[in-house]
Amino acid sequence: MEIHLNRVDYIQVGVTSQKTMKLLPALGKKATQKVAVADHDGIITCFGMKKGEAVPVFKTLPGQKIAKLDLGGAAGTPQEKIFVCSGSQVRGFTRKGKQFLTFEANLTESINAMHVSGADLFVCASYIYNHYCDCKDQDYYLSGDKINDITCFSSENLTRFIPVLACQDRVLRVLQGSELSYDIEVPGPPSVLELYNKDGGQEILYGTTDGKIGLVQIGEASAATKWEIDNDKKKGGILCIDTYDIVGDGVNDILVGRDDGTVEVYGFDSASEPTLRFEHVLSESITSIQGGCVGKESYDEVLTATYTGWVTGLTTEPQKAEAGPGDEVRMSKEIQTKVEALRTELEQLQVKVLQGREQYQQTSQSSTAVSAVPVFSINDKFTLCQDDASYSLTLEVQTAIDNLLLQSDVPIDLLDVDKNSAVVSFSECDSEQPNGNFLLATYRCQANTTRLELKVRSIEGQYGTLQAYITPRLQPKTCQVRQYQIKPLSLHQRTHSIDQERPMNRLSLVGQFSFAEIHSWVVFCLPEVPEKTPAGENIAFFFHNTFLGTQLEATYCKGEGHFKSDNISTISILSDVLSKEATKRKINLNISYDINDESVSYTLKMIHPKLEYQLLLARKVQLIDALKELQVHEGTADFLIPEYRNILDQSTNLLEEYKKQPAHLERLYGMITDLFIDKFKFKGQNVKSKVSSLLEILDNYELNSLLDFFNEA
Amino acid sequence: MLVPIFTLKLNHKINPRMVTVGKFDGVHPCLTAATQAGKVFIHNPHARGQRPVAHRLSQSTQDSDISLLNINQAVTCLTAGTLGPNSTGDTLLVGSQTNLLAYDVHDNADIFYREVTDGANAIVLGKLGDIPSPLAIIGGNCALQGFDYEGNDHFWTVTGDNVRSLVLCDFTGDGKNELLVGSEDFDIRVFKEDELVSEMTENETVTSLCYMHGSRFGYALANGTVGVYDRTARYWRIKSKNHAMSIHAFDLNADGVVELITGWSNGKIDARSDRTGEVIFKDNFSSSVAGVVEGDYRLDGQKQLICTSIEGEVRGYLPASKDLKGNLMDSSAEQDLIRELSQRRQNLLLELRNYEENAKGVSETNSGVGVIPANTQLQTALSVRPATEAQKAHVELSISTPNETIIRAVLIFAEGIFEGESHVVHPSAQNLSGCVRVPIVPPKDIPVDLHIKAFVGGKTSTQFHVFEITRQLPRFSMYDITVDSSDAPTIGRVTFSINDRPQRVVMWLNQNFLLPEGVDSPDITFNSLRGGGLLSISMAGNGQITLRTDDIDLAGDLVQSLASFLAIEDLSAEADFPGYFEELRTTLTEVDEFHSVHQKLTAAMADHSNYIRNMLVQAEDARLMGEMITMKKRYRELYDLNRDLINEYKIRSNNHNALLVCLKSVNQAIQRAGRLRVGKPKNQVISACRDAIKSNNVNALFRIMRAGTASS
Repeated sequence: MEIHLNRVDYIQVGVTSQKTMKLLPALGKKATQKVAVADHDGIITCFGMKKGEAVPVFKTLPGQKIAKLDLGGAAGTPQEKIFVCSGSQVRGFTRKGKQFLTFEANLTESINAMHVSGADLFVCASYIYNHYCDCKDQDYYLSGDKINDITCFSSENLTRFIPVLACQDRVLRVLQGSELSYDIEVPGPPSVLELYNKDGGQEILYGTTDGKIGLVQIGEASAATKWEIDNDKKKGGILCIDTYDIVGDGVNDILVGRDDGTVEVYGFDSASEPTLRFEHVLSESITSIQGGCVGKESYDEVLTATYTGWVTGLTTEPQKAEAGPGDEVRMSKEIQTKVEALRTELEQLQVKVLQGREQYQQTSQSSTAVSAVPVFSINDKFTLCQDDASYSLTLEVQTAIDNLLLQSDVPIDLLDVDKNSAVVSFSECDSEQPNGNFLLATYRCQANTTRLELKVRSIEGQYGTLQAYITPRLQPKTCQVRQYQIKPLSLHQRTHSIDQERPMNRLSLVGQFSFAEIHSWVVFCLPEVPEKTPAGENIAFFFHNTFLGTQLEATYCKGEGHFKSDNISTISILSDVLSKEATKRKINLNISYDINDESVSYTLKMIHPKLEYQLLLARKVQLIDALKELQVHEGTADFLIPEYRNILDQSTNLLEEYKKQPAHLERLYGMITDLFIDKFKFKGQNVKSKVSSLLEILDNYELNSLLDFFNEA
Repeated sequence: MLVPIFTLKLNHKINPRMVTVGKFDGVHPCLTAATQAGKVFIHNPHARGQRPVAHRLSQSTQDSDISLLNINQAVTCLTAGTLGPNSTGDTLLVGSQTNLLAYDVHDNADIFYREVTDGANAIVLGKLGDIPSPLAIIGGNCALQGFDYEGNDHFWTVTGDNVRSLVLCDFTGDGKNELLVGSEDFDIRVFKEDELVSEMTENETVTSLCYMHGSRFGYALANGTVGVYDRTARYWRIKSKNHAMSIHAFDLNADGVVELITGWSNGKIDARSDRTGEVIFKDNFSSSVAGVVEGDYRLDGQKQLICTSIEGEVRGYLPASKDLKGNLMDSSAEQDLIRELSQRRQNLLLELRNYEENAKGVSETNSGVGVIPANTQLQTALSVRPATEAQKAHVELSISTPNETIIRAVLIFAEGIFEGESHVVHPSAQNLSGCVRVPIVPPKDIPVDLHIKAFVGGKTSTQFHVFEITRQLPRFSMYDITVDSSDAPTIGRVTFSINDRPQRVVMWLNQNFLLPEGVDSPDITFNSLRGGGLLSISMAGNGQITLRTDDIDLAGDLVQSLASFLAIEDLSAEADFPGYFEELRTTLTEVDEFHSVHQKLTAAMADHSNYIRNMLVQAEDARLMGEMITMKKRYRELYDLNRDLINEYKIRSNNHNALLVCLKSVNQAIQRAGRLRVGKPKNQVISACRDAIKSNNVNALFRIMRAGTASS
């Protein structure tokens, strides 16, 4: 069943964080709902729509940046009290805008997730979870990794609350009081949690930063995954989820907002499988989403708030088709007054801005005055994509971006992204210079670009910093720099467990270092490790290489560290970086290796299918043009052998596949070469001179000859 | 929302930019395009199943509407139109690297087949100037040639570099067509017959040109720029990261004014308003666009815009009907307007907030904000730096702050002097200072605007102030004034007389050269930093100016620049460049040699093909007789012969390529000799040179180049 929704823009507020817009419950039966939205300027705006115009109910004074907004109220009454958190403070407002609560949580960090239920308040700072009841401290929990979101079951038949935390290390933690009850592994770092059924039930919807959605049933001692939606089309990460019956079939649909501006509605088919019913793309991150009725009575809609503060509805109300001639005129009149109001406001603003500009110019005459332009906010994300083992960098600014300068002191490749319309230009950078630049690129953006997406490919073992200088089109012109670390083992990703059966190489460190020190080294080497030193005496982390599928286990405690991997290059990189780091701090390390020769053949065998597939693909793609020409020349393809005819039939698929993975083969070759060099490095031999013969073997690839070469050399 | 009225999937690839529509029988329009394997296909859905198969034409077995034309050579350009005075339908013209074929599709016969040594990169068909019959004008390597329906060339001239695009339009507004030529040296030249009337310099190879209306025309460059010119002034342009494959003028929104339709390499089609460049319509193909043409393809009296992709997908669009009110895109204009206004309001509010916060003073002691003294002003200076051991010769742009603030990075956006469109200087954290020196090496003598953006702040700032400054780099910036004339004096020189005061020449010098303190006399000597030796300029009391340099290109640039500065319309000059002329003489003898080798090889090839015929007959005879040994022997011989032929072919093609290079340099020499003069004398030199080459009179050629006329 298809639905058609029309876009209506309501108002624009300041920059918004994730989950900062809610619909207040309707008063009467049919009346439209009011909207409460909070922004980074600290302002809560509550408004309703009257005749197509946004009428404010109340607006608070500016203050500290608001991170989350939730609704609450005494059990059994309409949930219409507005709660916001900013810094470590939680405030409560009535639906009329009267402040009735100010609560200082006394946390050292600012609150980034909050849930309100009756008199109970649940807040999370980066690693800490706190539960207050009537503003009195109840429970406390310290999580192993950053907490992104929290939700809580509070139905009446439950005697106690079950809070669930979404943690960055790809687990949902289910708590019982101050204790961890159990955790649930999810396929990506969860960014948002939502109750599937607002009236009860123990099912939770989660969304991950890599764009996956799932539903889990929380049980007493364990959880069961109901379904999962993969992110095949490589859309953005999930920022917000809501459930609402927008299709009108009596079953709640799932509304999803993503950080690339995609709004999706999932309905359920007869087999209760979620299927995509509607999709719309706005140009900026969707920070909040909710279903309800705002613009016009009896027309349901999906209300969204975006990063730059637009509150936009996707309504079931038809925009033109069903409106009679009379309606048309009224519509345009409304818009006319709206436009005129905007224009007069613009003129007034223009005058004010001119005055401001003049004053600013005048200060430049003074020798004592200083110029300090306030910091503009940037929403950025630098994440590893599992599918093609490359990093994607997204940048979003409140106003249009003028240009972007990318600078890197490590060799990286910049890949072309279709969505990105900016004109890129690479500048020459001789790395011999003392400036040490490996990449200098400028992106000149087209008008009205507020969001940029880039792709970067790194090489394991080469580490450093990528810097982005962002200049928005805003006077006085300023630019802000953001730094992103390219870690030595940049292509590794955290996982929950590894296959212990594989032949493993081991690297052991013994020395006079503290637990915090070795943890900081691991943070330096590997992505997705929490910066905070974990609680306890020792810790184990598991990783897998997104490109090759090899694995790494890191276990360490004070004075001792063990790293196990089936990939000898991983061990080699780790040992290089760790000994360098230790030397920097003048710590004497005792490094020992346990190299398993079999591991190299094992890794090669594991690479084999990928390599073979890529080689075959490359060969087929090479043939396509020639075969097509033959086909045109002969007028038919019947004379070709079936293999070639097959290539012709599949040519479009093959080309697509080939285009998807640029330089895949070169990367595989590079990794096999590294493997070769590293294998003999541990034996104390330098085999760089033999690399050319290795490449020759790779050109006429055959698994056995490659294995022989590795063994013989 | 405008949707295509027809879509076709032709199972043939289409070569980019080689698409046209022709009414070969005078009635039915047929989409005609070059495809793989040296073939041209003609799509004729109007008259099914009544075509004979003969000569070049053969029916495609894949699709009954398509007939294939065998050219047996890689096609480089094609067009269709009325060429002959009494032919019923359009003539198809197909150009390759060596030939031009005029073909009558309806009668299935060649009209003419001419060898064109300069190749045909672009072709246009139509009337030019006062020439009575329509011409097929082809642009090749530095040369332009126009043929009438009998294959006689009525038009010939040279241009600065390889021609990439051609269009005929009434540029001057005199009711007659001028020829616009886009070439690889980034220039768009306008020819009124063989007289060059205007020249516009762009910053990349001009890949497409199209006539819009009035004196307006559209253009596309190899770097992804498309735009519109009105006469010599650029109206607007936009740049994309994709490449424009084809441009075409078509009135898609039915408002009476054509829009510029662009087909892009990523498969996008967009229509832009001719006045503003605003997009009024866009659509997407799954593969790169090959060509955009128009024609009444449904035979209902309405012209359609026909877009084709390289994979053979074809879409036709009708101009929008009235009820769309020019709104071709799927969005509500009112909502967009409100959104845009709100966006502007938001921007102004943010700017206001910036000023307010700034006026409040620095409450935060946070150094990350990048506080700088309000009176910070950037100083920029341009200077010429001769080569040292560490660095090549360059123009140095130095940017400095007057106080303790530092420059984090400098971005310079400029066209045509960097590899991309920008150059970045980003010192490492240890080398941060208040002064940045940027070496610039402009590859050509062109004036360039440098748009400088400097990020200024403190050493540990994360936010910087952006200073935006524009500086102009003068045309002749890579020349260092020198007093030391001990170097070997140059022998090459060009002399001409002007009726102007020396002060005006001094003004020209000061504007076009990078002189540290300016000069007050027109007698001056420079050192070319590109290694071209000395350049000296002197002016005698009677207004005679002598330029001494061994670089004939530089001399030409100087003459053109000075003439346009002094607004001289006609200027004749005497020139002598012994070094260059000597080179040219060698080239000319080489051309002769290559020609004779070519003839010999052609004869040898004919011999070989005779042999092959004989041998094949003998071998087949032997097979029929059952003499297997003889047959094997014959076939082995045949195989050897084949190998020889392939080798010979390689030699031939090398010979041909070398010949092309020589011919190009001869054409360039004529162009260069022309550039030493302005206006009428220039055209005289070019046509006289051409005549000299035609009559193979080498001495006359040099005499013309020196004196500017044939008779003396």
